[in-house]
Formats: sequence, structure tokens, C-alpha cells
Amino acid sequence: MVARPLAAVVEAFASGASSLAEVESVTGLDHDIVSAAVDHLVRAGRIEAKLLTVGCPSGGCSGCALAASDGAPACSPQASVPGRRGLVALSLRPVHPVQGRPAE
Amino acid sequence: MSTDQVSRKLSINPKAPTVRAACCEPGGEGVAGAPIIALAGAPNVGKSTLFNALTGLRAVTGNWPGTTVDVGRGAWRFRAGDKVCQCEECDGGCAANTATEFTLIDLPGAYSLDPLSPDEELTRTLLLEAPAAERPDVTVVAVDAAHLARSLYLVAQVREASSRVVVALTMTDLARQAGVEVDSFALAQGLGCPVVVVDPRHRVGLDNLTRAVREALTRAVPAPRDMPEAADDLEREDERFAWIADVVSAGTARTGEERVSRSDRIDRVVTHPVAGPLIFLGVMWLVFQVTTTVAAPLQDWLDTLFTGPISDAARAGFAAVGLGESWVQGLVVDGLIAGVGMLLTFVPLMALMFILLAILEDSGYMARAAVVTDRLMRRIGLPGKAFLPLVVGFGCNVPAIAATRILSDPRQRILTSLLVPFTSCTARLTVYVMVGTVFFGSGAGTVVFVMYLASIAAVIGVGLVLRKTLWRTMGAEPLVLDLPPYQVPTARLTAAVAWMRLRGFLRTASGIIVVTVCAVWLLQSIPTQAGEAFGEVPVQDSAYGVAAQRIAPVFEPAGFGQWQTASALVVGFVAKEAVISSWAQTYAVEEPADGEDAGDFGTAITQAFEDSSHGHPLPAVMAFLVFLMAYTPCVATIAAQKREIGWRWTLFGVGMQLVVAWTLAVAVFQIGQLWW
Repeated sequence: MVARPLAAVVEAFASGASSLAEVESVTGLDHDIVSAAVDHLVRAGRIEAKLLTVGCPSGGCSGCALAASDGAPACSPQASVPGRRGLVALSLRPVHPVQGRPAE
Repeated sequence: MSTDQVSRKLSINPKAPTVRAACCEPGGEGVAGAPIIALAGAPNVGKSTLFNALTGLRAVTGNWPGTTVDVGRGAWRFRAGDKVCQCEECDGGCAANTATEFTLIDLPGAYSLDPLSPDEELTRTLLLEAPAAERPDVTVVAVDAAHLARSLYLVAQVREASSRVVVALTMTDLARQAGVEVDSFALAQGLGCPVVVVDPRHRVGLDNLTRAVREALTRAVPAPRDMPEAADDLEREDERFAWIADVVSAGTARTGEERVSRSDRIDRVVTHPVAGPLIFLGVMWLVFQVTTTVAAPLQDWLDTLFTGPISDAARAGFAAVGLGESWVQGLVVDGLIAGVGMLLTFVPLMALMFILLAILEDSGYMARAAVVTDRLMRRIGLPGKAFLPLVVGFGCNVPAIAATRILSDPRQRILTSLLVPFTSCTARLTVYVMVGTVFFGSGAGTVVFVMYLASIAAVIGVGLVLRKTLWRTMGAEPLVLDLPPYQVPTARLTAAVAWMRLRGFLRTASGIIVVTVCAVWLLQSIPTQAGEAFGEVPVQDSAYGVAAQRIAPVFEPAGFGQWQTASALVVGFVAKEAVISSWAQTYAVEEPADGEDAGDFGTAITQAFEDSSHGHPLPAVMAFLVFLMAYTPCVATIAAQKREIGWRWTLFGVGMQLVVAWTLAVAVFQIGQLWW
């Protein structure tokens, strides 16, 4: 049994796992635990989750009312439809060296 | 239940709201003296369904006093049944046995008791921070059996306080379908509290839940769960997760019905290191092939419409009002109708392509393609996160440049911003298709496909060169992709996404392209020699033609040194769609040579490439397409780059793109003409 599941998941991220299946394989944790751990780390701000979309209007964001101000692809169809989910990119956020909290 | 508990004096303190105070305020549904049961749970675990099943129509919903958080309150009525109290001398007539009603509070959905939202803050206040006497008598935590670990974090935190807890286990049918059998007894042992399986939709298990709560009320408040000392928040959270992992391991079993999910089975093939990229390439080839083949008849019909009846009708109209052969007719017929009309012939093609890509995206396949691409990027040492803006870049480079902000390392941001323009946006697709159709006929889809491959190769090649020269010590930022399950594409979503993207194309055609067409027409109308009037000058003698003839020799080594082609590429700096409109405009106003029909655009550019390449048109066309793919996408991209990485790097990028584009184009032509 893994003594520190969250730390193991963070370590798997840092060591270059490319998918959640790979995180499960590296940590030896069950899919349900990894999924819950990632959700928790996202809520706690230690992991950033970004919804991806593959294409945009050729006119760019200026032609799209849904685009986020930071240029994020918020126009994904899944973003507005509950139960339908697109590709999500998860990445570690920098952690404050003293408090152990994500940097603002 | 003790008498003093029943007659406890309740207080209202909005700054520290307690369940007891709110339940018995005027308008509250609670009955003074009835045990107060809090119902907690993460969102979407069936908590509200359970609340409705337990309270029926005897519930009210409103803001919790002093907050804006919505909370339901209702009477949970039941029949006093079996003797549940533990007192040996009792004959069943004590309060614990005769009570027939609880006051049930439906707390807002919360994943945890960490106060990350007002909902979680209120739940935390009521369950943990209120004085012990003001807390609920029992907390029922709804737990989703299909997502057990996710639901149990809240249980872990509730169990850290001195309180009676009963777990209501929902969604066991979904867990079973997923191949997970939950042993409620083992789970209860691990959690240290009763676990009752319920199905509130079918009112199954509600009596058991009632009995479990009644029994819990007769027992002393249990001791909190043992918590070892933690050095920091992460260590404490980790201890909870380790506890959850132990509980889940002990309380669940994989059934013999466990099957590898359909998504997993497909993923083993489509994300395979070797088969994955090949399948992706095959799928994309199919998309481009279907797009060009199916849309071709419609495109031809629209082309005939614009160059025939619409242009003729416009000419007739101008002649009728005395403006025949005037500059106004030139602007409208040779400028707007020829330029914008040519672009609009691509609407069916773009619509079909957007529909097919939307289907692939909505089905979940594109996410797998992203994994394949990401893996490739990592292997060659490019930052994993750079993959995100590059993926967006295949739609449009402008938001892709903005998306580089997700990269925290400034060097990675600059590198990615310099690579984004090499991603082949959908605007370039129109030119690929047009040129591909003219020169390769039914093989146009393959040509488009090859150009997308060339685009990926350019990103990788230039990225590697920059990594080996400018940024040798760039660090890596870990990135994990969470794949969505495969899903059946919906017509509504597919149509909405395709329309959204097509609308962007139409806006460009109706906005910036119209302006560009007018500017090109103006330049083509300005004479450069004495004796010629404005609007009545042969295009090769116009300001536009003369300037283009000065630039054209640069492209001779690449096989497309015709001034008409060179001028279209210069106009393409504004937007890639403008390449087609200005090209069409140039040939529409050019005097037909040797009896050639000026309206036959395909014949005109075929002849142009034949002449400029000295008999090697196909390598010249491929060189032209490669140049188009690699040089600066549009002014909007330049503006976005300037905003993100400053003028110095933007100008470096524009220069680099031109050098790369020219070098590749020359290489393609010089090598290609050896064979074709």
C-alpha cells in the first residue's frame, strides 16, 4: 500500500508521466485513488487543469464571443455541456518553498 | 436522547450559524426537540435525491442565515419501529424509540471541509467549527460507490471531529457495472461508522438508513479518528488519502464481471507508440480526402455562379445605369465578386471539414491524437506544455500565441511563440485545397494532408534547431493528459462547433478580405506610366504589378518567380485567405492572352507555374505551398507575438520564418525538378 498517495501522484507528474494511466502504472495506485487524488490536487491549486480544444475559428479569438481573455480555448463544445468532457491537460503548479502552498 | 438535549435553548448567530439555530427560527421546518440530522456529500452523489426521498414535500429551501448559501431543510418522518436504544431496563418507551421525526438539513455539496468556496465554508462551520452542542446530532454523508475514493475525503474529514456519522452509500448499481463490488460491512469497519446502501430514486434502503440513524443517536458520540502529526497541509491531506486507499482496498472487490472498458481497449490501439501515429495519419488523410472529394462539385457550382451569372448580372446592372466599363464596375466585378466570391466558393469545403473535425473532437478521438503528438514532442526534447498552444495553432495562430502564457519559463514561451506560426492554421487550408485541386485533381486531399505533415515537421525541425542553438539548457515542465471517455458525437454539438468555426471564416471573408480586396484594387488601378488613367491601366503596369515584378525574382530559384504569384504571397501577409482573393483579382483584371478566357483562373495559374518553373510546374507548386506554410501567417499573429514576446523576438521570428520558408521552397523545387 502506498503510504503517501498524493506525494506519489505529484512525484509521478514531476518524473514525466504523460497520462493518468501512466500515473497509475508508476504509483501502483488504483484508478479511483489516482482520479480522486488529481481532483483534490486541482482543487487545492497544486495542479493546474486546462481544457483543450483542437481548433478555433480562422478569424481568431476576435471572432469568437466565447474566448477567454487570456487566450485560453474556452470555446470547447464540452465546456458548456454537462457530462461531456474534452481533453484536459494537467500540470504541476510551482509550490511556495516555505509554506508548501502553490505560488499565486 | 436526553431531556436536556430536547429542551436545549437555541440561539441565532449569523456570524457563526449553527444548524440548531437555523432549524428553529421562524419559517424553519424543524420541530423543536427533534434530532437534527445533517446530510452532507460531494456534488452529484445523489444527495439531493436522497434528501427529497427522505423529506418528501415537507422541505423548504433558502439562504442559510447570514450567508448566501442555499440550504434545504425538511422533516424526516418515519414510524417508530423496533427497539433501537441500548438501555437494558428500557421497555421501548424511551425518547430514542418513540421519536418519529428528525429535522434534516441538506448541506451544500462539498468535496471537502477545506473552505475553498462559500459552500464548503458553511459546511465546515456547521460540522467542525460550531460548538459541539450546536452541531448536528448525526451527520449522514452521501457517498458515491462508483467514485468511492473521491467521496470518502469528506468522510475522512468529518470523522476527524467528535460526531456521529452514518454513511449512505449511493450508486452501487453503477459501481457494479464498472466491475466494483462494495462490501458495506468491510467499508463500515474501515470507516468506523455505519454504512447503509441506499437507492433514493427507487426508495430502496431508506428504512435501513432511518434505523441506522436512530441507532447512532442512542450511542455516545464516537471518538475522532486518530490523526498522526503532520508537518504541513500536504502531509495531512496525504494521510487522509492513505486512509482512504486502505478503506477502499478493504471495502471493495473487483468482480468477475470486470471488463476492460471500451475506451481502454480502443486506447491501447490508438495511443500505441507505433500504431497510434499511423492511425492518426490515416484518419487525417481520410478527413482531407473526403472533404475535397465531396465538396468539389459544390465548389465548382459556386465558382461558376460567381464568375458567370453573378458577374454577368453585375456588369449588366452597371451598363444599365451608365457605369459599364467604369472603375466602379472594376471594383465590384473584378475586385469584390472575383476576390471575395472566389473565397466564398470554399464555404462548403470548410463547412464539411469543420463538421468532420468536430465529430472527431466530440467523439474523444482528437484527445488521443493529442497524446500521440505530445509524446513525439517530448522525445525530441521540446517542453511538454508547449504542446497546448501548438495544438490550438492548428486552428488559429492568434489564440495559440496568447496560449503560450501557460508556460512559466520565459524561454519556453519565446520558443513556443516562434514555433506557433509554423502550425498550419485553417486559413492556409483554403490555399492548399485550391492549388491542390487545380494541379492534382482528385489527389487534392493527399496534398493537404502532406502539407499538414510538412507543418508538423517544420515545427519539430525548427524547434530542434532553436533548442540546439539558442536554448540548450531549457528545463522541462511536466504535463499529464487526462483523456475523456469516448462518446457518441451529438448532432447539436457538432453543428454548433462547425458553425462557430465557419462563422469565423465568413467574418474574415466579409471583413478583412473585403478591405484587402479594395486595397489591392486601388493599387491595381494606380498607373505608373504617363498617359494612363486611373482604373484603366493594365495590371502589370499598375503600382501593384510593378512592385510585384520587383519582388518576383526572389522566388525564381523556388520555381514561382511570376509576379502574379509573388504579389499574392505579399498580400498573404495580411491574412492567408487574401492570397486567393488577390490572386483571383489579379487574373480577373488581367488582359486575356492568346484568346485565353480571363475567368478561367485554374488555367491561368497553371500557365503561370508552367512558365516560371520552365517546365517543372509540380515541384514549383509544392515549393509554393511549402513557402505558404512556413512564412508569416498574418498581421494578427505578428501583433499577438509583439504583445507576448516583444518586438525584438517578433522581428527575429518574421525573419526566421521568411528564411526557413524560402530555403525550404528552394530545396523542394531544386530537388523536385530532378524527378518531375
